[in-house]
Amino acid sequence: MSTDIQIAIVGSAGDGTIAAGDILRRALAEIGYRVISFDVYPPEIRGFGKCIARLRVTDEQAYSLKPQSDVLVSLDDSHAIPHVHEAREWGAVIYESGSVGPLPEGAHISAHIDPGQIPYNAPIRELSEKSTGSARSRNVVVLGYIAGLFRLPIDPFLRALGAKFKGKADVAKKNEAALRAGYDEGARWFRLDDVVFGPPPAKASGATLEMISGNAAVVRGAIDAGIDTFFGYPITPATSIMERLASEMPKHGKRLVQTEDEIAAISATVGAGFAGARTATATSGPGLALMAEMLGLGVIAEVPCVIFVSQRGGPSTGMPTKTEQSDLNMAVYGGHGDAARIVVAPTNVDGCYRLGGMAFEMAEAYQTPVIVLLDLYLSNRYETVPFPSKPPFKADMNAIADTRGNGFKRYALTPDHISPRSIPGQAGGMYVATGLEHNELGRPNDTAEMHTNMSRKRHDKLKAALDHPGLNAYKRFGDEGKVEVGIIAWGSTFGEALEAMILAREDGISCSALKVVMISPFPTEAVAEFIGDCGQVLVPEVNYQGQFAGILQAHVPHAVTRLARVPCAPMEVDEILAEIRRLAGRTPAKQAA
Amino acid sequence: MSTRHHVVIGSGVAGNQAAETLRQRDPDSRITMITISRLPFFNRYDLPRVFYGARDWRRFIIYPAEYYRENRINLRRATRVVSVDSASQIIKLEHKESIRFDSLLVASGAGAYLPEDLSEFRPLMHGFGAYREAVTVAEALPKAGHAIMLGGDTIGLDLARTLLDTGHRVTLVAGPYTFWPHEVAEKDRPKFIEALTKMGIVVVEQQERGGIASIETGAKGLAARKLTFHDGSELAGDVVMPFYGVMPSLDFMLGSGVDIERGLLVSPNLRTTNENIYAAGDVCQIWTDKEHKYCFYHGWKNVRAMGELAAKNITGADEPWVPTQDETLRLTKEGKIESPFWEYQ
Repeated sequence: MSTDIQIAIVGSAGDGTIAAGDILRRALAEIGYRVISFDVYPPEIRGFGKCIARLRVTDEQAYSLKPQSDVLVSLDDSHAIPHVHEAREWGAVIYESGSVGPLPEGAHISAHIDPGQIPYNAPIRELSEKSTGSARSRNVVVLGYIAGLFRLPIDPFLRALGAKFKGKADVAKKNEAALRAGYDEGARWFRLDDVVFGPPPAKASGATLEMISGNAAVVRGAIDAGIDTFFGYPITPATSIMERLASEMPKHGKRLVQTEDEIAAISATVGAGFAGARTATATSGPGLALMAEMLGLGVIAEVPCVIFVSQRGGPSTGMPTKTEQSDLNMAVYGGHGDAARIVVAPTNVDGCYRLGGMAFEMAEAYQTPVIVLLDLYLSNRYETVPFPSKPPFKADMNAIADTRGNGFKRYALTPDHISPRSIPGQAGGMYVATGLEHNELGRPNDTAEMHTNMSRKRHDKLKAALDHPGLNAYKRFGDEGKVEVGIIAWGSTFGEALEAMILAREDGISCSALKVVMISPFPTEAVAEFIGDCGQVLVPEVNYQGQFAGILQAHVPHAVTRLARVPCAPMEVDEILAEIRRLAGRTPAKQAA
Repeated sequence: MSTRHHVVIGSGVAGNQAAETLRQRDPDSRITMITISRLPFFNRYDLPRVFYGARDWRRFIIYPAEYYRENRINLRRATRVVSVDSASQIIKLEHKESIRFDSLLVASGAGAYLPEDLSEFRPLMHGFGAYREAVTVAEALPKAGHAIMLGGDTIGLDLARTLLDTGHRVTLVAGPYTFWPHEVAEKDRPKFIEALTKMGIVVVEQQERGGIASIETGAKGLAARKLTFHDGSELAGDVVMPFYGVMPSLDFMLGSGVDIERGLLVSPNLRTTNENIYAAGDVCQIWTDKEHKYCFYHGWKNVRAMGELAAKNITGADEPWVPTQDETLRLTKEGKIESPFWEYQ
């Protein structure tokens, strides 16, 4: 890659750190770069806590953020000082040259900049005050400074700024002045770092490249798939799914209801699915726990519906603004009875779009609730995604029965375990749908034979989902055939796993990575085949128990190395890479030296 | 175990040599080195290499970043000291941070001097004291371009050798600062000027032209700069570079309670009038019993020796300064000028 630059802006809540990151990524995306970004923010609304906006800018698709940034910006030294080591050698550290009040020794970031890093001290506050009359636009001054320092065109920044403050002409005007002041300051500096923005890649034809977050991509997928109804109750980090749908669905003549709680949300969702609508809800781990009972109704009544679940640190309220992959067991097993359901986990923002739409297809095709399992890292992460010119989702996957005549068997036992379905109001299509175990007609039945048959039906019908058209339930990357180390990863951690695998191969380690998108039903054969090729198997994931590794070993009894961590942040590429090296028997470079 | 905090202001030859010696002699102490520069210690003597195409500043660096980490020298760059309070032993930085010291070595060096009557033309002149300035002038000077040098101290004459070697033209506007800091006797001056001419430098005696009246941007299509003398004669060049010697960088020491003349006044053991504050390098004037006055000593070897001596005396020794460098400007048998100030290690 000729351009591979990561920028981190560190500040306090209220400094406009996240807003600065948003404007920056939009401007860089408009220039034509590929961007992947992820923000870290505290649970408090304002005035406390650390905010970090990190974005990686490339000319080819990147899979994760890098462990070190090329540019680190401090909007608040007290928060930035612990992160100053994140700037790489010969990278740039941009910070406020002044101070409002007296500082004790070591309180200024300049005391912590490594001799290998390049300091850029700028009068950020002064420029903001001079250009706008207040210090509130320090974040925008910094954006201008970055644009000027790295010789980036200012116009995309101005447009991104204008979009941010659309409808607030006075604010926009002041911020434009701040941006220009920062730009002029940055442009006059003689650069000593080796951070170079290469030319942006030529725009690909046939697809539109857009900057979008994981949650926004889910919404886009749902809209493109023709979602009819949505019922939800807000909860971090899933709230923005409902917020976006609330503004988008009415444009398409569709309905969204904010319910009084998660139980009502899932109840309404199952009801709408029963009524034939493409329907969904969105929640996080605590909300999913509340939905467990009605999820069981969806399973036994074979109702198509979609549940978007964005995981955060738990249990209980846990850490609402920290990412984690610890609701996997809940998603796959949560509930009473043998409640089999489809669980898919996208690994990047593009996957959020595709699974966000495809989930509705699968829900209809296999007549079951489908859980799309995201996490905070994926929900809030922005990427430039190439959207197809035409939505790739099928409009109707219902196996609608011919209900003419008597004796409609809604739950008929069929060779593929999928029963013909009627939609309420369909002539001759009446049936009983309750939470009770039933016979083929839907009438209550508690015989061992029928319960066995229906249980088998509800489980076995899902197997076909592994080959659902257009879905990559799993995919292998890296070396083919026998390898020293194989990594099996899921969800947002797969990006880091893939980066680590690429670096391991550059180190001469034969290595492959298996991406597992569909976790229930589990792609047992494919995983077993992959494991058969691997000398060692590494399973990295962001939870304490190694939940995915547990599921994997339940299906494929084989020794794997669990790299299960709860760092309150995405797993680091370096940590995975170190484990790959260890498993491959390579001595770490430092020890070898 | 020492818990002393040694602070060094300046990260040039003297400052770095002092820090190294301090670390050797006081292994457990804390050492902070403060510099206005954004670069770690680089080789100023190597700057002319930019005219041979050297553009990676990292190749000018004398110590890698690991050196500072391993020696536990907290190198604070892009940091300006605004005041020193010798009584309370506190340094104040421009961003209002206070640093307490047990010992302070001022090794802030010297900046290029520009006579007052030329200061209004500073924006039209190119300096040559930092890597940034070296690259800027190299980019401003076209192939076979013409550099006008004012003054002609030894730093300038060293650069002139490179410029001629790389196919550029050099005109020297000579005056009292030519050959600075060498003190050339009036009777010897013509032969040294002749040597410059033989090198290929066009020498114009400023005094004969009545001094410099103005420096302007050249007209479109002509050279970038036009220099006009008081007698009306003109010189056109691509760059104008002042080389009038250097001035100690010690603004921050004003009001510190330490005696200052042109530089910081130090006793032969390099201690200032405050027992906890020492000075070394181009910033200080050292008392010499022999000449019975305070003297400046320049050149890489002298400055480095001063840094080492100051560090020794800070850590308990009491040794006097002895110049280590011959300061005589010489002519070789072939008639070429040789300055000991062009030598470095």
